[in-house]
Amino acid sequence: MKIQRRPLLVEPPASAATDIAFILMIFFLVCASVQPGTGREQTIPRSEEDEERSPQNRNIEVSLAPGAVVVDGEPVPTHRLGRKLESLLAGKLADEDRIVIVKSSPRTQYQHWVDVTAIIEKAGGIITLQLEETETISVD
Amino acid sequence: MKLPRKKFEANIPSVAMGDIAFLLLIFFVILARAQNDDHIPWQPANAEDLTQAPATAATVTIDTDFKLHLNGRPISTGELAGALGAILADRPAGGRTVHLKVDREATAPTFEPIIEAVSLAGGEIVHILEPESEPQ
Repeated sequence: MKIQRRPLLVEPPASAATDIAFILMIFFLVCASVQPGTGREQTIPRSEEDEERSPQNRNIEVSLAPGAVVVDGEPVPTHRLGRKLESLLAGKLADEDRIVIVKSSPRTQYQHWVDVTAIIEKAGGIITLQLEETETISVD
Repeated sequence: MKLPRKKFEANIPSVAMGDIAFLLLIFFVILARAQNDDHIPWQPANAEDLTQAPATAATVTIDTDFKLHLNGRPISTGELAGALGAILADRPAGGRTVHLKVDREATAPTFEPIIEAVSLAGGEIVHILEPESEPQ
């Protein structure tokens, strides 16, 4: 009598291949899912037009130019800006007194702006942007 | 004489289920890709003391060519506040986060009106930045 041998190679069921592919795809999708990244929150009050200010309620004005910072008309090196602002904001507890107006020259880059606004916020200032007014005049 | 009817067996092939799932997955991947802004080139600015950015309601990007995008689609500065207002309309405070991805070399006339527009729309701004690399 001849004994029948079992075949050694057993083919896996074809239906399982798609399931494996599906699970692999989900795995790679989860791996590739976008991370939110790191960042910094910033609260900027809405700008209000025609805001009347009394001379007593004068806010600190920080002007930015490439590589330069001017606080209330006085140039300040970036490494001393924090201390300067802390001294100016000392004793000011109300939000409206801690407003720091940031005015940027047209060539100010975002990196410089981020650096300076971080220092202002760290010193306890509330940032408000002063944008340059642009007006289009049509000539007939 | 009663003739026996031939029975037709209709089976759904189970192999096809995998194919259907696969196609559905590709469909949703493409749909998600349309709202993604990973394809927009921009160089983040560096900063210290950064935190993990919270989940966003919208992403505003200024790319390396200083062009503006909202959720991966080009938009003009004038239209931004309105479009963001529509997205953020029903969202409560705390859920109105707007990620701001600005190229580090963008200048003030490009990014300041954008910040103003996000603020006007009631968005809670989160600047997406990269931590400063340690000096070697």
